[in-house]
Amino acid sequence: MKSVLIKRFLLACFLIVAASALTFALVAAAPGNVAALIAERAAGPGADAEMIRKIGDELGLYDPLPLRYARWLASAATGDLGVSLRTGKPVAEEFAARIPMTAALLGGGGLIAFLLSLTLGIAGAASNGRLADRVIHGFSLVGASTPNFFVAALLVIVFSVTLGWLPTFGTSGFQSWLLPWATIALFPASVLSRVVRVNLQEAMSRPFATTGFAKGYTRSSVLLREALPNIAIPYLTTFGAQFTLMIIGSIVVETVFALRGVGAFFIDAIRFRDFVGMQSTLLLFIIFFVMTNLLVDIICMLVDPRIRRARSA
Amino acid sequence: MTSQVEPLYAINDLVIDLYAATVSVRAVDGVSLHVMPGETVAIVGESGSGKTVSTLGPLGLLPEGVTVDVRGTAKAGGKDLVGMASARLSQMRGAYFGVIFQDPISALNPMLKVGPQLAEQARRFCGLSHEAARKEAVSLLARSGIPDPEDRYNRYPHEMSGGMLQRAMIALALAARPKVLIADEPTTALDATVQAQILELIRQIQRDNDIGVILITHDIGAVASVADRVVVLYAGQVAEEGSVLDVLTSPVHPYTRGLLASVPDFRAEDRVEAHEIPGLPPNQIKLEPGCRFAERCEHVEPQCRVERPPLRTIAAPGTPHRVACPVVIRREGIAVQ
Repeated sequence: MKSVLIKRFLLACFLIVAASALTFALVAAAPGNVAALIAERAAGPGADAEMIRKIGDELGLYDPLPLRYARWLASAATGDLGVSLRTGKPVAEEFAARIPMTAALLGGGGLIAFLLSLTLGIAGAASNGRLADRVIHGFSLVGASTPNFFVAALLVIVFSVTLGWLPTFGTSGFQSWLLPWATIALFPASVLSRVVRVNLQEAMSRPFATTGFAKGYTRSSVLLREALPNIAIPYLTTFGAQFTLMIIGSIVVETVFALRGVGAFFIDAIRFRDFVGMQSTLLLFIIFFVMTNLLVDIICMLVDPRIRRARSA
Repeated sequence: MTSQVEPLYAINDLVIDLYAATVSVRAVDGVSLHVMPGETVAIVGESGSGKTVSTLGPLGLLPEGVTVDVRGTAKAGGKDLVGMASARLSQMRGAYFGVIFQDPISALNPMLKVGPQLAEQARRFCGLSHEAARKEAVSLLARSGIPDPEDRYNRYPHEMSGGMLQRAMIALALAARPKVLIADEPTTALDATVQAQILELIRQIQRDNDIGVILITHDIGAVASVADRVVVLYAGQVAEEGSVLDVLTSPVHPYTRGLLASVPDFRAEDRVEAHEIPGLPPNQIKLEPGCRFAERCEHVEPQCRVERPPLRTIAAPGTPHRVACPVVIRREGIAVQ
């Protein structure tokens, strides 16, 4: 088990470096001259070529790409992510203030998606083709095919503007989180409830489910005792994938609900061609992706006795 | 035979139709059979003959996704399982019946430890305490011939061999102390060397606990070594039934004869090739009147294709010997009771 973990961890580190190199190249290839942009902002429209050149030199923009990447990675490894071109503050400082916000958004949304998908999936499988099953199927279909900016607008119109129950935006207490959580959880909850439903149905047609019936259990007991443990692996794997995708959703949700999180920082960085901010946020996203997947793999290993026992033996 | 003793499980004139999305199949067509306390009844027939559906169908143990229509009666413990409310039927399945399935590797839940499942059964249906149920489970594993049962108690199915798993499956089926043990091709998925051991174990358990055993099989060898009575099914109907001795040594129905002749005899001096029944079993989607075996039968007469042959009791010592073939009975001058 230990050697597997070390191997997985090393692979994760390699993935982070490789993916960050790729995004670094992509950001560098993005159109627009950053030096010109900065000069313009500092000196107005009359910035001359000499000034642009000087700024570019200071930023190291004219060095070869591998050298720039190596330099950036080395300082990033020490926690120095550079200074945001947009805010003028160190990116690390921005992250320290913003990560808790995004963590709260993803944590709450992830929990809702987890609970809701299991509840709906199990309820659907339990009612097996009857009305509740069809209603849940319909809900998940709609939820999985509605874009989150539209969901956000709809929720705000209904719960904030029309009913006046919840605040439109901001972070003033638990209530203000409900709409962002609902928005970000809808898609993963819809997809995952289908995963639960379909895998439960498949498990119920396996011979061990028949054994469960033979043991004298009713259908709902067989569903929970025999079938549910068997969907753990596909469910957790899909949950991990959906959870990582929520970081993409956070870009929209944080913008719509004016949450000062990492997603909002990223979209602002893109708007202002803040390549330092962009590159750092992408690194953060990559680490989040890779580490979430690593965590899911480890959890799967712990959950499945076939894998767990094979390691310890 | 004392007529006072009630059968443990008695199926009477059972008809089971299976409906899938586009087809319906009459899997069981008027089958009657029963098992007495302390008796082992073998149900023999080829795939699709209705062996499993007739015995497990009334218990509601057919795979999900098939709609089942059951008519007739299936009495167990004085109650009819046909039309029983599903919660009560679940209770009956757990308390009164133990079932052993064909392939223990897929029939045991890969995510559940073997031992605790046994203990759970003992607790639910025998009213044992946690501690007593655990002891009972270990003892059951030991009695089922599993070495080092204390260690196996906490094992997952993937940590045991096929033979060991089938022993665990048997222990699981017995954990609730059932009255009837149904073994659905319990040796088909196992190595030849293990098969005999498993059959011996089932026979021993049957003797020790004085329960009724229904052995579903297509293995004539298994029938000869374990069963007291045998019921031969063909295309959802009973072709012949009687004591193992009667049916195996003096079969009457042409299908039974064909079935027995198709078993290769390795002891024979001049290795004669095994006989083969020509043709295939009928398509049970489209039902024809008359004898189901008519198309493949060498004794077929025009009447066979018109009228369903009645099950007649022929003279036999002890257990009644019944045959659904009036033609052979007449031609060979067999006395009918």
